[in-house]
Amino acid sequence: MADRLSVRRKLRLPPYLLLLFPAVSFMLLMYAYPFVSSFTRSFVVSDGKLGFFNYAKTWDLYLKDIAFTFAVTVFSTSVTAVLAVLLAMYLRFRQSVVSGMLAGLYKLPIFIPFVVVAQMMTTFLAPHGLLNLTLARIGLINIDNPLELFNFWGLSFGFIWKMIPFSVLIIHGGFQMIDNSYIEAARSAGARRGKVITHILIPMSKSSIMVALVLVYSQIVGTFTLPYMLIGGKIPTTITVDIAHRVNYFRDFGVANTLGVCSYLLVLGTAIYYLRSSVKRVTEAESSGR
Amino acid sequence: MQTRKIVSLVLATLLVSTLALAGGKGDGGGEKLEQVKLVYMTAGDVNMLALGQNVIAPQLAEKYPGIQVMTVHTGPGNAGSQLIFEKLEAESNSNKESWDVDVAMVHQIFMKWAMEKDLLMPYAKDIPAWKYVTSPFAKNSLGVDIEGYAIPMFHSQTALAYNPDYVKNPPKSYAELVDWVKKNPGKFGYNGIKGGMSGVSFTVGWVYWKTGKYQKYAVSGPFEQSEVDSWEQAFKDLGEFNKYVTFTGGNVGTLDALNRGEIWMGPVWVDMFFTFMNEGKLDPKTRMVLPDPGMPGQPMYFIIPKKAAHPEEAKKFVDFVSSPEFQAKEIVMRFNWYPGIDGSYLKGAIPQDIYDKIYGDVTPEDLAKKGRAFPLADYFSAMLESYEKWIK
Repeated sequence: MADRLSVRRKLRLPPYLLLLFPAVSFMLLMYAYPFVSSFTRSFVVSDGKLGFFNYAKTWDLYLKDIAFTFAVTVFSTSVTAVLAVLLAMYLRFRQSVVSGMLAGLYKLPIFIPFVVVAQMMTTFLAPHGLLNLTLARIGLINIDNPLELFNFWGLSFGFIWKMIPFSVLIIHGGFQMIDNSYIEAARSAGARRGKVITHILIPMSKSSIMVALVLVYSQIVGTFTLPYMLIGGKIPTTITVDIAHRVNYFRDFGVANTLGVCSYLLVLGTAIYYLRSSVKRVTEAESSGR
Repeated sequence: MQTRKIVSLVLATLLVSTLALAGGKGDGGGEKLEQVKLVYMTAGDVNMLALGQNVIAPQLAEKYPGIQVMTVHTGPGNAGSQLIFEKLEAESNSNKESWDVDVAMVHQIFMKWAMEKDLLMPYAKDIPAWKYVTSPFAKNSLGVDIEGYAIPMFHSQTALAYNPDYVKNPPKSYAELVDWVKKNPGKFGYNGIKGGMSGVSFTVGWVYWKTGKYQKYAVSGPFEQSEVDSWEQAFKDLGEFNKYVTFTGGNVGTLDALNRGEIWMGPVWVDMFFTFMNEGKLDPKTRMVLPDPGMPGQPMYFIIPKKAAHPEEAKKFVDFVSSPEFQAKEIVMRFNWYPGIDGSYLKGAIPQDIYDKIYGDVTPEDLAKKGRAFPLADYFSAMLESYEKWIK
């Protein structure tokens, strides 16, 4: 009896597994395998030995770059958050010709690839670039002593410029889903606009704001072209530039993979948050559905 | 979600282009004399693509109507050569009898990788143009013996470009440059070692100057760790020098910054310098000087993979591009490179004014005396890593 039962159980594969197969195998092959292999290969030294040699070298040479990447990412993400929420507010509350035009215009950078953004920023932010020349013409700076922007600030500016539209798109979507009746109820109870924003809109669309920030954060950590073209030769620079350097000049995949692992660690916290919140959303939806 | 979409789009594009490649090869393989599709892979900047697609392909088709060149461009720098290497290595590992790539244009470091894995055909001495090849770079690439496996198509040199409006009396040597930089802080610009090869070249020249061991590092060897350990002070001095320097965004970034007047001097590739000037992207007054004790340059090579599907056509291809006529008209006059073959064979083929322009600031004597090679591969890696180690 017992034998039969177990045989039966083995045979009875749930049919949805078959449906899942293409997607899951694609995920395993294209995402899980490279991820795991880059992790394991970060412990392999060029002569095939195992150990922490790559990590020691990364610690020695690239610690400042990892810190720099983290700082740029956190700074750019926070500024993006504030500005994106403000812009989304504006688009949520104001319905005018200007806001309509703005709603169309702000989406443009989403469709501009990073490499084009980088090219734009190199000429815009250069010591004798458009920005500095304009400021000099207005009389705010002396062109012989221009703003130096091929650094932390210029890089962050590029990221923020590129990332705001993307996050506004998500956050504004979240704001739109909040029914006007909540806002009206709060207003009739005497809440001013500031209160409405801090007590109704932001708390109620917290998840879409966080999702936007998580995506912005992880995109910035992984961007290569903008830092490469803006501050590629500088010290410090970003992790992605270092990875390219290790591969192009040394064919050193060990340290490159180690730097990759460091960037996974940088996004790990946000990834966990993202997964947890989406699992929570699914379970909440299921329990409320039943 | 968005990144996933991009990834799948890229994959789809790759798949389609691979299929197109495979299909193209099948078409040509069948009939022998009718049409041969020669697959030419080239590393380098977009000018290399233009050279293959717009210059070599039509001219070769005119000379040999049966040969049709298909140019595949992999991208600038060693990364571009690496893609070609990976392609050949994969073909070698697959044990195929005939490989897709017929001829390729590669950087120096590629020769080390490919010679180690035995991926190349010793073709060079079979072609008529071999008699024009006298450059030492054709015998040795970063310390690896390559004689017979490659023909340099052109030679490219780095030098210091300067704006004569501000720099009346340009420094003639690295030592003078150090003094100049202290007097003119922020007016010398280069792109470090991660932003392109002109900065790498400047750094390598610095080490040659500080150590005076060019012969050992670039020609004779051997590699010794004690040499590397002795570089600490040289790089700390460079770190000090860097405090007076503006960092630019790449090879092009240095030229742009010169043109905008942000910097007054910086290391550039000679061919890019002339190309920028011809296209009106650089002030025509700008000039160059090759400082003592010299800066590196590099050739790019034609190679034929060991099991290329069409080796005879590939040899015709290389022979054609290495002929004095083509070298004079296209390599020197159109693309502003120094010729890959011996310059003396080009006499008379190049108008005097162009000859004077190309060899005006950096004379053939300068090139012979101060045109250096990049160091042996091990020293090269060690120099780049020492830069990261000592300059924080």
